[in-house]
Amino acid sequence: MDIVFSAATVSYTGRVALQPLDLRLCEQRIGVVGLNGSGKTTMARLINGLVRPTAGTVTVGGLDTVEDEQAARGKTGFIFQNPQHQMILPILAEDIAFGLKNRGLGKAEIAERTEAVLARFGIAHLARRRVHELSGGETQLGAIASVLVTGPDLLILDEPTNQLDLKNRALIERTIAGLPEQVLVITHDLALIEGFDRVLVFHEGRLAADERPAEAIRTYREIAAC
Amino acid sequence: MLNGLDIEGNSPLHRLPVRGKLILLFVAAIVLFLLSDLRLLAPALALSAALYLSTGIGVAEAMRRTRFVLFTVLLVAAANYFFQSPHEGAVVFCRLSTLVLLAAAVTATTGISAFMDEITRLLTPLERFGFVRAADVSLAVGLVIRFVPEIFARYGEIVAAHKARGLPVRPLTTLTPLIILTLKDADTIAMAIDARGFRRH
Repeated sequence: MDIVFSAATVSYTGRVALQPLDLRLCEQRIGVVGLNGSGKTTMARLINGLVRPTAGTVTVGGLDTVEDEQAARGKTGFIFQNPQHQMILPILAEDIAFGLKNRGLGKAEIAERTEAVLARFGIAHLARRRVHELSGGETQLGAIASVLVTGPDLLILDEPTNQLDLKNRALIERTIAGLPEQVLVITHDLALIEGFDRVLVFHEGRLAADERPAEAIRTYREIAAC
Repeated sequence: MLNGLDIEGNSPLHRLPVRGKLILLFVAAIVLFLLSDLRLLAPALALSAALYLSTGIGVAEAMRRTRFVLFTVLLVAAANYFFQSPHEGAVVFCRLSTLVLLAAAVTATTGISAFMDEITRLLTPLERFGFVRAADVSLAVGLVIRFVPEIFARYGEIVAAHKARGLPVRPLTTLTPLIILTLKDADTIAMAIDARGFRRH
């Protein structure tokens, strides 16, 4: 799916969070790196329509994220830095089903799709568990399941391995690698994006580099060393 | 953290359909406000306490959950005691406490999702008149129930942080960060709800 930024700019009360950005993304695996406050989360939230451009446009699969907000958002799933924040209901299966409500689906179909996505990620045994009782890796898997159950074409993950131990980090890395959906990952975990198709480096609200992973990581290390 | 207020169990109240529980609670509220005879209200209070405990919640947890509201009820009853009459104070106390315990029993035996589904079903007919958006109301109710234990847990963390730093626990220094953090979380949750496409209008 094509994601197109056309002079997309974001400003908050006089401060420019993202300088005008022109970019077309169509790769299956896209990494985004940068120092804290560099504009990478703002850029990602533009794709999902969670942030609106103050100038310019962003289209997802040909749909404008402002004019066709709901349709564009339906094509994109978003996993927040702290996945606990997006768990709305206390039981995992109920939380996954939550995303399917209000879409005109019947109870049986919601249950069927919930079971299918739990099975897809090997977490069917956690269906009735309370989300606050899940481990970090289980919570992240649950969050991914809760987003992918609605069938988006693109999954955006904001620092998915943050706060995970080595075992859970490996689990999430394997899971991301196995996803058939297009994936955009914002991360400080450079090992996670080594095999990606394309990596964007953001610095002070600008796109500082747009390269293959090895080159982009080198650029990022140089920026971080300054 | 994301705990909800329902407890697992198989009590008669757990097995009762959500709609039945909400209707019974509504009827009980009306009847309680029509009664002013202590010979009926006192047993009603005892019965509601027994019903609440029959959910398997345990006395300590039951007290922990209801003590703030019951304290408020006590203040209202005390005002009635002094400004109206001792009888009126006792009536208000029994009436409101009974209602609090019945509502707590319903909350303890009903999952948030079931609550939301039922509220949506009950309010959907009103959508035709443009009064409400049923899904939004049910979401609001669900979030309130879901956030109550989280706010209490956060308050506990702030108090613990004060103690760890050797600071006195004062309302101003505990409630201010509690309100700020709660509002910040509310923003994130609202964004997550939008990101998951629940509000499709």
